[in-house]
Order: sequence, then C-alpha cells, then structure tokens
Amino acid sequence: MKFTGRFTVSPESSVFSLVMLPLLGAALVMLAKAFLKGRMAAGMQFTAMLVGLFGPWLALLYTFPLVWSGLTVEGVIGNWSGVVGITFQFDGLAWLINALGYTVAGAAWIYSLGAGPRGPVFSSVFLIQTAALAATAMTADIFNLFVCLEVLGIASYVLVASSEKNGAFLASFSYLMVSASSMVFFLAGLFGLYRLTGSLSYSGISQALLALPDQGGGLAAISLSLIIAAVAMRVAMMPLYGWLPDAHALAPHAVSAVLSGVLIKTPLFALSRIMLIVPLGAAAAQLLGYAGAATAIVAVLVALSQKDAKRLLAYHSISQIGYVVCAWGAALDLGMDTMAGQHLMTAAFLHAFYHALFKGLLFLSIGTSTDRAGSRNVYTLRGAASTLRQSGERLPITLLSFIIAALAISAIPPLNGYASKIAITYSLKGSWQYWVLSAASIGTIASFIKLSRIFWPQPARIRLMATEEPSAVFMPSVATARHSGLPAQIVPGPMTDTSAVKRANLPVGISQAMLALACVASGLAAPWLYGFVLRLLDSAASLGFTSLNPGPALYTADNLLKTLYMVLAGFVLFRLAVSALGSRLLSLVRDRHRGFHGLFLSFAVGLSVLCVWLLLV
Amino acid sequence: MHSHVGQGEVVLERILILLLFLIGFAGIVGMRNIIKKIFGLTIINSAVVLLFIVEGSRIGNSAPIIDAEIGLVVDPVPQALMLTAIVIGVCVTALALALAFRLYKAYGSFDIDEIHRQVHRES
Amino acid sequence: MSGRARRILFLAQIALCVLLVAAVLIPVFLSSMPWPLSARDYLQANGLAESGASNLVSAIYLGYRAFDTLGETIVLLVAISGTIAIIAHGGAVLAQGYGLPSGTASEPARHLPPKTRTELLEVVTGKLGPVVLVFGVYVMMYGHLSPGGGFQGGVVIASGIVFLALGSRVDASNSLTSPENLVRIESAAFALLLLAASSGIISGSGFFGNPLAGAGLTPVAFIITLNAIIGLKVGAGLGFMCIAMLGRGK
Repeated sequence: MKFTGRFTVSPESSVFSLVMLPLLGAALVMLAKAFLKGRMAAGMQFTAMLVGLFGPWLALLYTFPLVWSGLTVEGVIGNWSGVVGITFQFDGLAWLINALGYTVAGAAWIYSLGAGPRGPVFSSVFLIQTAALAATAMTADIFNLFVCLEVLGIASYVLVASSEKNGAFLASFSYLMVSASSMVFFLAGLFGLYRLTGSLSYSGISQALLALPDQGGGLAAISLSLIIAAVAMRVAMMPLYGWLPDAHALAPHAVSAVLSGVLIKTPLFALSRIMLIVPLGAAAAQLLGYAGAATAIVAVLVALSQKDAKRLLAYHSISQIGYVVCAWGAALDLGMDTMAGQHLMTAAFLHAFYHALFKGLLFLSIGTSTDRAGSRNVYTLRGAASTLRQSGERLPITLLSFIIAALAISAIPPLNGYASKIAITYSLKGSWQYWVLSAASIGTIASFIKLSRIFWPQPARIRLMATEEPSAVFMPSVATARHSGLPAQIVPGPMTDTSAVKRANLPVGISQAMLALACVASGLAAPWLYGFVLRLLDSAASLGFTSLNPGPALYTADNLLKTLYMVLAGFVLFRLAVSALGSRLLSLVRDRHRGFHGLFLSFAVGLSVLCVWLLLV
Repeated sequence: MHSHVGQGEVVLERILILLLFLIGFAGIVGMRNIIKKIFGLTIINSAVVLLFIVEGSRIGNSAPIIDAEIGLVVDPVPQALMLTAIVIGVCVTALALALAFRLYKAYGSFDIDEIHRQVHRES
Repeated sequence: MSGRARRILFLAQIALCVLLVAAVLIPVFLSSMPWPLSARDYLQANGLAESGASNLVSAIYLGYRAFDTLGETIVLLVAISGTIAIIAHGGAVLAQGYGLPSGTASEPARHLPPKTRTELLEVVTGKLGPVVLVFGVYVMMYGHLSPGGGFQGGVVIASGIVFLALGSRVDASNSLTSPENLVRIESAAFALLLLAASSGIISGSGFFGNPLAGAGLTPVAFIITLNAIIGLKVGAGLGFMCIAMLGRGK
C-alpha cells in the first residue's frame, strides 16, 4: 500500500477478473449481435472471444507469484460482512483448475472456428460456461456453489442440444432432468446445514458443526450426503453416470472436449474444499474413493462394448474420472495435512489435467475423422486415415493427434498418461484399488486398439456382421450409400464441400497440434510438473515443499515391465473382445436396457448408500 | 405470525411439504409423459422453496422490512436464497419445455419410452 | 418377459425409488431443530445501515450476495437464448443465433389465428399494456423499500410488453415490442450490469462491492441502479422470449 501513486491491481480484483473477463466477452458478443452488422459484428465477436478466453491468462500470470509463495487470496466478495456475504478462496488448487479450464476451452474454441458450431449464441454460452468454471473453482460458499453449478448446468444443456441431432435433444433433456432434480436435493441438503448452523460459508458451517454436541448428528450426515450426491451426479461417478454417455457423445466435438475435459472435474475439486473441513468429510471421501475405483473398471468394460466411436470415448471419460475420484477420495480420507494425502491429491489433479488434454484431443481427432469419413461405427469404419488425406490434410495432424492421445490414455511412456497413472498406482500400491485400476488400464488399452482400427487401411472385403451395420443415424450419406450398395466408407461424409473442408483444416489442425504438443510436453516434463502441482496444492496445508519434488520414479524397470505386460494383456483382451463369443457378450452389455427411470433409481440408491455409510461411521 | 400455531400443526405442515416433494418426485420418475415429468420437477422445486420459507418464518412475526415500528422480523436469508432458486427453477423449466417441444417435433410423441425406442432404433 | 411382469417390475422400481428418497428426506423435512438466529439478528441490526435498503431481502440479493444474483441473471440469459434457439429452428440450433428465419418449420405462424385473437383481446390488452408497464416500473424501482425488485418488476414489465404485442394490430408492432429493440435492451442491460458489478474496484470495495459506500453517498442508490438494470434486462429478455413463442420472431 506504499505505492499509492501507482495504479495497482488488488489480488481480489485480479482473481475476479478470471470470472469477469469471459462474462465481459459474452456481453460484447451479445452487444455485437444486437447493434452491429456483417463484418463489424464478426470482428467484434472474435475480439470478444479473445478477451474472454485468453485475457484471463494475464490474470493467471499476475496471481501466480502469490499462489506460488503459498498465499491464499480469500475474503468476502465485495467486502461485505461474512455473516451473510459470499466467501471465496483462491489458492493453488483454484489456480490449477483455472489453468486447466482455460487451456481446454481455448483449444476447443479454436477447433470450433473450423468445424463449428459458430455464431453469437454459441460463443456467449461457451464464454459463460468458462466463467462459471472459474467461479466454481474458487467459491467457498455453499449457496454460491449451487448457483455456479446451475450456471454450468444450464450452459451445458444448451451446448449439448446445439448439435444438429435429434438424439441430442433427448440426451440434453435427460441430463437436464437428472441434474436439475439432483440440484433440488442439493437445496434440501443446504436447508439441513443452514438449519443446523445458520451459516452458508464452508468455514462457518464446519465451525458451527464442530461446536454442536454430536457434530450435528444424523441431520448433518444426511444433509452432507444430499449435497455430495448431487455433486457426484455432475461428476458422473458410479452409479450416477447414466446421463453422460449420450450427452457427451451427441454434443458437438468442441463441446464434448470441454464437457469431458473440464466440466466433470471442476465440481469434484470444488467439493473437496468443503469435504476437507466438515466433520464426516473424510468418511464420505473414503466411500467416494471406493466408488471411483469401481467406476474405473465398470465403465471401461462398457466402453469396450461400444460401437459408436464418440460414445466409446464418453465411457472412457467415466472410467478415467473413476481414477481421479479414487485417488482424490483416498487423499481426502488421509487428510491433506499428511504427506501421502498430498501425493495422492497431486496424482489426482495431474490425472485430471492430463486427461483433459488427451481426452480433448481424442474427441477432436475422432470427431474430425468420423465427420470426414461419414461414419462413427467402430466395427465397420476403416481407412479413415486415407479419407483424411483425401480431404486435403497435407500433414497427417489428425492421425498423429489420435495416435498420441491414444498412447497417452493407454499409459504408454513417455506420454503424460503414463506419468499420472504411475503416480496414482504408486500411492495406492498394496491396496485392492491398485489391482482394480491396473485391470481397468488393461481394458483401456484393449479398447483403444479396437478404436484405432478405424484408421487401418481398408480391407479388400468388408465384413458386415448382423450387429455391425454402419450407423445410419445422422449421416445421410451413409444411408444413401447403404441403399445403393456401396461400402459406406468410400462415400465422402457430410462435409462434401471441399472448399469448406479446406478452410476448416487450419483451425482444426492448430487446435489439435496445440493439444498434442501439450500431451507430449507434459509427458516429458512430468517430474517437473509433479513438483509444481505438489507445491501449489500444498499452499493450503503448508507441509513446506520448498524444492520441487519429482514424485515417484517413472522409468524404473518395474514400471516399464508392468506396462509391457499390460500392453500384452490388452492385446489378448482385444482379441477376446473381437472373437465371436466376446462380441456376443459385449453386444449384450451394449444393448442392455437403459430406461429413463433407471437414472433416478441409481441416484436414490447411491444417495441412500452414502447416507447409511455416513450414519454408521 | 406463527406464534399461535400449535406444535401439531407445525408437524402437519412439514409432513405436507414432504408429501408434496414425494408426489413431485414420483411424477418425475414414474410418469411417461415428459411434460408431466417437467411438472414433477417444478413441484419438487416448489416443495423445497416452501420448506425454506415456511421454516424460516417461524422465528419472527413481521416481514423482513425495517420499519419504524420494529418487531422481530423473519429470517430474510432463506427468502433471498429462494428468490434465486425460483428464478433458476423457472429458467430450467423453460429450457426443458423447449427441449420437450423439439422432441415432440422429432418423434411425434411425449412418451419417454417411445422416444427412447426411436432414438435407439436410429443409432 | 411379458408386458405385465415388466409393468410390475417398473412399478416396483418406482416405489423403491420414492421410498428410499422418503427415508432420506424425512429427517431433513421433519427436523425440529431450532432455526438459527445469527443471520437474522445481524441483518436486523446492521442491514439497513450497511446496504441502505430497508427491505432486507433486497439488501441480501443486491448487496451481500450480489454475486449470486449475477449468476441468476446469467442463468436467465442462457435459458432465454437457449430456449429461443431450440424452439426457433430445426436445423443448426445455435448457429444463427436469435435471428429467427421466417418460413422455418417452426409454427405457430406469424400471426395468431383469428379465432384466438378476438377484438376483445386486442382492445383489452392494448389498453392494459401501458398500465401494466407502469406498475412493473413501480415494482422495480421500489424494491429497496417494499416487496419487489428487479426480477419481480422485470416479469411484470415483460407481461406488459406481451400485452402490448397482443394488443397491437396485425403487424403494426410498435418499437417497444420489436424483437430487435428488445435484444438491444437486453444485451445493453447485461453489459451495464457487469460494469456496475465491477465499479466497486474503482472505489476500492472490490468486485460486487458497493462503490457508493465509501464515497459519502447514500449506498441505497447502488441498489436502485441494480434493480433498474436487472428489471430492464429481465423484462426485455422474457418479453422477447414470449414474443418469439407467439411466433413474431422477425
């Protein structure tokens, strides 16, 4: 405060510019739409997107020294009284989530410049969603968390519906019903906590609960489980994941990348703020960690059975979020003031971050390839690589991107997925979760071998089994091709206008190259990043990691051998999966009955299990 | 406002609000018509709003507006929170109805099972 | 499985679902814990002085918790643009934004069919529209003193706009009910709201702080301003949505 003559930006202001800049961008987009015409409007919209998606990086740079030195920017929004006002907390965790969000959102926006969707409504909703992510990351007030989750939710319902598919309306509707109902349960939980404590801020709630005779007793346990179940629904962990595959598979590719990469993880890390400080938080986290391990293995088996390429990726998102939740739950169970807890949380965040990079890349590259090829059926589509070449891609960026991302998600060294999976399994070694997660990794490898077949050269004769018909859903060209008796793959997809494809190539290529480089670079710099994240996460607990801790050794003979065995096992599993018996079994999994009420039944069951767990501990 | 309300009536109010919630929830889960499902969503939202407002108003006897003659006001926090929750609920309902409209146009039915069947056939 | 067995299974699942939820919610809904007094006591003692609004609900949602209100406004904004985009056309939903192309598959037609649009409706709504608008402005501007405020007033204003639109003769829409103007009002009000929310940085009270609190002015002016902006935004947005649903998109 000595330099009063100089214009200084207070930390609070710079922190909130992370939320306000995208909102300002959204306002500019709408103003351009309302007042300007033609080229001017397009120019202003472009500028607004730049301001909203890349301006926050300045704020992130500006606040970095603060969080790096272990400080937390916290207080009440608008300097109102803390009794009623909204408290916020911007620490290393919030910084990391923001960095993650703006990386993926920026890449997805560049991709959307080429492959759509475009237009002012998409742009403003996309920016609003990004702003809500930033706000969710730093809120420390339970009702504000509700509002942030609702903004995130409503933006994503609209974005999912923005693809031009009828199925997407059903996906968006199911997602809306499930998540809006779970938010009402959230409110009921909030009612219980407010009734007990008279406070809305996390710290106020936990202090008041600790002061109560039996820490709030049954009402506190039930309220907490209502809130956790509602957030877990957004995170799509077992058994609450039923809405995700349709929503993520049918959204536009750029939106899928953001939904899978960022949107399902931010609520999880936002939840950790309250679970760290309330009584029973650790017990709840323990159960969620178990559910995470189960999610990882169940979802990968379902993924292996899918025939729609993007739905397969969506199930892998569920499986990978299971890894994250497993490590996250174990970390909160141990407590963030222990060394092991810190390491597990670091591993969880790193996997969330790396997953955002490689899953975003997978959605973009698979989206590009299947659009160009005109089919999304994993069983029948072949030769996607040559289709890409024919559509004018001189450098095989899409193919390379897919290879890098698939290797990363399969945890092949030296890519980033390897580093984070080693970090997670290292910390869990000896427990049953270790074996479950390793088994899930084998399934991942098998399933990506299966997915990679779409790029293999076209066989002379196309096997068309009864269950393996080309998907005629949204691809009119495929339907016509089938009627005329031609193999579906030869006919160019919906993007027949070559000039449009050529124009789209540049942004599509740039966004994929960005993410692919990020995957490789974060894989190579993994030990350094590990120390970086560890130190940032430690800012709250201050165990004093002053030097960069490189984490568990990556390239030991043990780890490499294990990877080799897993790849071999993956090949075996893949062969089994495509064998006659295997495909029949998998088609049973794929075609199992999924009704709308099943989503709610699983919510009710998950909620009551969590309640009973919390009441019993 | 509520000082003359007996303990039995308080419990009855709570039970009625809970029943309202359960009716709405059963509607969401059990009704096949998607418009009725949306009604159910609105009902459970209203039930929780009622719960907040009714319970929050038991501690005072005048509206939360500071006047010259000052009594004990009711808790204004639940009212302000529910104002937000109501607006959000309305917005979600509007969006859900728009989606139902599009689903009807695409599949000619409001029946969730029928829509599911047709979507499944498409894919 | 026969149809009957499937029906029974379905009903059993529904019953299980409702019973589980009831079991979880009974302790929450039927709790008889005494209601906490801390927030009420604090607000009754300090709310008027700190925010300037004697309506404590307004003091909370435009003062203490204005950030929540911004989020709520944004939900409304997204819902309106999303609803219009989803209803409006059958093709690329968001790609063309608000511009509702005429002649798309979306009915209803531009004008209501003569049956629903009687002489009586036109006369009554046309005359009532301005009155409703004035009442909306009153509710909006007096939100700091009495029940009301931006959202409530905005909804009344929106119904006034709808009345005017219904009352105007076929296609003789006046400038208040034209979608172009409503979109302009809505987007300008949103930008103003963001500016107002950020104005606290200049006076040092930070985002969503009351910039007038430190400047020696009465802090209630800030709440009145926010009420007016939000009222305009909500009124224009909801009015536009209703007019678009009436089929007068362009």
